[in-house]
Amino acid sequence: MSEKAKNPADSLDYVRDLPGFQPNNPVYFDNEVVDHLIGIVLELGAEIWVLRDRQVHLEELLADKGVDLRAALEKGRPAAATEVLLKIEREAMIKRIYGRLYSRYGGDKVEQATAPM
Amino acid sequence: MSITELVYPRGKVAGPYPALPTRRDEAYVDFIADARNFLLHAQQRPIGQYSREIMLKAGVPQTADPAATRQSINVLMADPALKTYYRVKRSLQEAFWNRLQSAFGGRREQLMAALDEADKQGPGSVEYDPKTPIPDYAQTQIHLQPRGYSAEPLAGLLYDFGLKVFLGGAADNDMVSTMSVRAAAKPEDGRVSRVLDLGASAGATTTAFKRAYPDAEVHGIDVSAAMVRYAHLRAVEQNIDVHFKQMLAEDMRYPDGHFDVVFALLFFHEVPVPIARRVIAEAFRVLRPGGTFTVLDFSGDRGRDVYSMFFAEMDAADNGEPFLPGFIRSNIEDLMSAAGFVMRAYNPMDQGAALRTGRVGVKP
Repeated sequence: MSEKAKNPADSLDYVRDLPGFQPNNPVYFDNEVVDHLIGIVLELGAEIWVLRDRQVHLEELLADKGVDLRAALEKGRPAAATEVLLKIEREAMIKRIYGRLYSRYGGDKVEQATAPM
Repeated sequence: MSITELVYPRGKVAGPYPALPTRRDEAYVDFIADARNFLLHAQQRPIGQYSREIMLKAGVPQTADPAATRQSINVLMADPALKTYYRVKRSLQEAFWNRLQSAFGGRREQLMAALDEADKQGPGSVEYDPKTPIPDYAQTQIHLQPRGYSAEPLAGLLYDFGLKVFLGGAADNDMVSTMSVRAAAKPEDGRVSRVLDLGASAGATTTAFKRAYPDAEVHGIDVSAAMVRYAHLRAVEQNIDVHFKQMLAEDMRYPDGHFDVVFALLFFHEVPVPIARRVIAEAFRVLRPGGTFTVLDFSGDRGRDVYSMFFAEMDAADNGEPFLPGFIRSNIEDLMSAAGFVMRAYNPMDQGAALRTGRVGVKP
């Protein structure tokens, strides 16, 4: 193999200056917040769709079993164990959707912190 | 546990693909696929027209040469709407891979156990060596696939599912592979005893060859052990007798004149041009006289204008296709001819022909 072929960078020169070439969070806009906002909007759409899909599926399963829980869902609240699970999922979702706003300095990678007392 | 229980606990979808681990994963990927269809694929015509109008106003030459392409990038990527399009493209790609990686990554232990189990099973065979040195060019994260094709042990599965989503249903039930194999040219004497599929990846084309030529011995090679292992598992699951080997296409371990048909589907644009030249020379060597070499890949630059080259260069950057522009400009039919192949009729001005019927070289 030639030295040129060994080094992929030799073959990458013609795309080096394009915004997408950088593997970590490329920036397309003059103001990188715009880049983040587009990613956030897309991610939110996906999350909303996942929930909608689940809700329709859930309602279908319940209807199949002859159970109508709509009133209980409006007035009740999840069990304590479920609340814990929901908190974990909620924190993960927040980190996933909004974390990229702080990706410039690695803030998107930090572990969940507890609120100061 | 059986391979079926380990890989397909929620069954299969669209033919050979394992269903994603949870309904939540499926809903997310459904969203990404539909978002791609609307935000990327459906935009091709209007965004192409919009881009051409901007270039016309800016006086960018319509030619496909590198200087015009560079000028087009400077002009078009200053436009907010186009910046948004390419940002969305990149974001959707990253979101898709992140989800796929976490979804299947959560079942890594079971999936690796399935690959180990498949290694021991037939029909067919798989050969690989984890110590095989992987060339730098083959470590590129093509399509932005996390850790690329070689470093990630689940690369074959990720690639397979990725292609299913990127092709928007065309790869379902191995349709693309089956259609592509129909384009593979037969030798004039009609004898097809041995077939070689270069850059076999997940093995869909290799198995399609066996279905098309049930009496032939069919081989698929790939630089990645992860790929050939998954390809073998996929073939075992379909009970198809094919042979996968981890091997560099530019340095094959097959004897001279061993194959009647050599085939490469969307392979050459993933390697640098100097490597492509060596692969073509190797294809020539392992073919018997009268054997055919069919290459299905993107068209060269002869039938392209500046926007087409701009789009290719942006794909190089946004979609991890670093070798695509070089491949296009190489006009691979010229490289095949220079290596000694007698080329069958091919119209380089017909962009669709490159993928529909391909370039066919015959070893004299």
